[in-house]
Amino acid sequence: MSLAHEFTGSAGARLKSGSGNGVPLLELRSISKSFPGVQALDDVSFAVWPGEVHMLLGENGAGKSSLMKVLCGAYTANGGEFYFKGERVEMRGPADARTLGIAVIFQEFSLVPYLDIAQNIFLGREFPGVLPGTIDRQRIRDEARRVLDQIGFDIDPRTPVHKLGIAQQQMVEIAKALSQDARILVMDEPTAALSDREIERLFVIVRKLQADGVAIIYISHRMAEVFELGDRITVLRDGRKVGSVLPSETTPDELVRLMVGRSVDTSYGRHFCEKPGEIVLDVQNATAANGISDVNLTVRSGEIVGLCGLVGSGRTEVARAIFGADRIASGQIHVFGDLRKGAPDVAVRQGLAFIPESRKTQGLALLRSVGDNLLVAGLNKLFPDGVFRKTVARRTADEMVRRLRIATPSTRQIVNFLSGGNQQKVVIGKWLTTGARLFIIDEPTRGIDVGAKAEIFALIDGLVQDGAAVLMISSEQSEIVHVCDRAYVMREGRIVGELAREELTEENILRLGMHHV
Amino acid sequence: MSDLATASTASSPIATIPGVAVVLVLLSALFAMVAPGFLSAANLSNVLVQSTILLMIALPMTLIIMTEGLDLSVGAVLTLASVVLALTVVATGSFILSLATALAVGLAFGVLNGFLVAWMAIPPFVATLGTLGAAQGLALIVSDGQSVVGVPPSIQFIYSGKVSGVPMPIVLGGAAYLFFHILLYHTRFGTYVPALGGNREALKLAGVSDRGMLIAVYGLGGIMAGVAAMLLTARMNAGHPTAALGMEFDAIAAVAVGGTSFERGNGWLFGTLLGVFAVGILRNGLNLMAVPSSAQVACIGVLVILALYIDSLRSSS
Repeated sequence: MSLAHEFTGSAGARLKSGSGNGVPLLELRSISKSFPGVQALDDVSFAVWPGEVHMLLGENGAGKSSLMKVLCGAYTANGGEFYFKGERVEMRGPADARTLGIAVIFQEFSLVPYLDIAQNIFLGREFPGVLPGTIDRQRIRDEARRVLDQIGFDIDPRTPVHKLGIAQQQMVEIAKALSQDARILVMDEPTAALSDREIERLFVIVRKLQADGVAIIYISHRMAEVFELGDRITVLRDGRKVGSVLPSETTPDELVRLMVGRSVDTSYGRHFCEKPGEIVLDVQNATAANGISDVNLTVRSGEIVGLCGLVGSGRTEVARAIFGADRIASGQIHVFGDLRKGAPDVAVRQGLAFIPESRKTQGLALLRSVGDNLLVAGLNKLFPDGVFRKTVARRTADEMVRRLRIATPSTRQIVNFLSGGNQQKVVIGKWLTTGARLFIIDEPTRGIDVGAKAEIFALIDGLVQDGAAVLMISSEQSEIVHVCDRAYVMREGRIVGELAREELTEENILRLGMHHV
Repeated sequence: MSDLATASTASSPIATIPGVAVVLVLLSALFAMVAPGFLSAANLSNVLVQSTILLMIALPMTLIIMTEGLDLSVGAVLTLASVVLALTVVATGSFILSLATALAVGLAFGVLNGFLVAWMAIPPFVATLGTLGAAQGLALIVSDGQSVVGVPPSIQFIYSGKVSGVPMPIVLGGAAYLFFHILLYHTRFGTYVPALGGNREALKLAGVSDRGMLIAVYGLGGIMAGVAAMLLTARMNAGHPTAALGMEFDAIAAVAVGGTSFERGNGWLFGTLLGVFAVGILRNGLNLMAVPSSAQVACIGVLVILALYIDSLRSSS
């Protein structure tokens, strides 16, 4: 909730033009969408007014994406009606959505990396030049400049998009939407990959758009921003709308209850470590070219130790140095009493496991089966003679699926079709087959819904109860607070503090991790 | 205020010296020292003239690779077009008709490549490997495996003629480069080329036909193979069914040396020009030193690796 605190000052002064009064800009009545065997949306009604930020909440699979696709015309609803400014309109495809001024910003950006910002904003709508087929590059730039100014994004429109960070690319997406005269902007978890400072800038822009009378439908996983930005909150579950509430009339707990249909214990039922065991990871004065300097930390068996700080503070870099993915220039790292040196393959033999932050690109072979993914890291251990035995493989994979309670029809299921939470279990399971005893877990719950989070943490809790040790990196401070036995806070590549269990609060983490507080 | 923003972020590929420029300077310096007569005006002009055939197919290859595609068939199509050109001119005596036939053969194969890639969704490597075989086989069939001789010597004007003292191939090569520069950087078509490789979905959502674009890009490659066939036939004063065999290797090497990436639509047309010169200088220098052609291919391989290694050093530092 710390984010919410920080922003309340500006939120109080927010302009709320006509929110909830008068005729809605866009209204959906009893929208249904079904696929063979699946009711993706069931009788969903939903309205958004100009200048309003309408938060859309729901677990994965609740119907948020389907609703978005109906809004942008990618899906045609089976039933229900659309009203624009009170008048019934048809919604048959993307062209209709565009005419109504609806623009969707997906998590996967629709930008071309080796075109510049201006070319991306006007892709497919280039201003013609003098000769047939040519384009007026100067005019494209000037118009792009105008749109960028509108959202206060001060950057040369000739900058190629591949040179931009994710936050800047998002600004370009927003500019692109505005250049098409979007009056209704749909944003899909826009803060998922942003740092706190970038989130702050995004919020400023969202408020500016709001003041200009743009209606914003904002899909979010983060409770803090729901209360921070939202004028109205709609919760979906299993394709149905389970509630539309005002932020002032609800609480985070109530929203979570609405989302999952039951109350979830956000303390995650951790069995905190009373008597930590031996030191299994000992990092001494580690400095590396990847930006970390003079890092000291220890992890004992039976402990979950947090590593927190802002995005870019060097947390992942510490993990990479320990695992041998980046070399350290000076200092020493010991694991289980042995000197840690060499590449990741040596680290695996020493009993380390690294669960990276991006499970889709770094953790899984997405198009291979659950079984293949579970076994890939442990093949050397399972089959030391190099001969692959199917029965052993199947037995090991089946056992892992049972032990981790991975919801999959079989070990032959392609891992891409599993939910985020189950995919993450597969990534963790993959390392259990190596017999690892020290787990470095980077962002264990990114993009995972509330219910699955609890299961992931129960799983990690089980690991340390069995005597393993965990170093956990997370941007979600509340998770660090509720899950870790103690935590280190990083800033600019250095460890700036260690917080014991009693001192572990979000305020303390922020106080240490922020630059000027 | 736009001035301020411009000054701070304006970026140019020249700002950091690309690998291809380093390689070009190193090669020239090396051959100036060890290859007799390398630096003579006649030889340097010769390098330019000889490079033009490669340039003709390397320019569209740059665009094709920017779409995350590849055209392995270009050498074979060039050969076929050359043989057909020679046969037509021998049979009819009409230059206009025979040049048009060469262009038509190139265009047909280019469009076929584009169709296979865009509509049949066959990976470019496999699709153009198939058309490579087809074009090479056809070239051997129509020529009966023999050189097509009897081409009127006046065709040599295309390769050996001069316009105001400038060799004809240099005029044609310069025109082709200018055409591709305008096409890639100042037209709608050119704007969509990096989008094909970088984010095809975005292009589709912007209402552009990605398949039509792919056919056009591969088709352009075919036409340019036809243009190159004119130069080649004029140079040999004959059509030979294995004349440009393996030329796709030189073309892809020149594009790669020039810094165009095989991913995400990252291409650089001027780099391709430099890459063509690098390959041309290497072949010329080795010829002067009487190094056999087979060893030259090995040297081009080393050149590609060296240029890309320099680029990777630069991007990692």
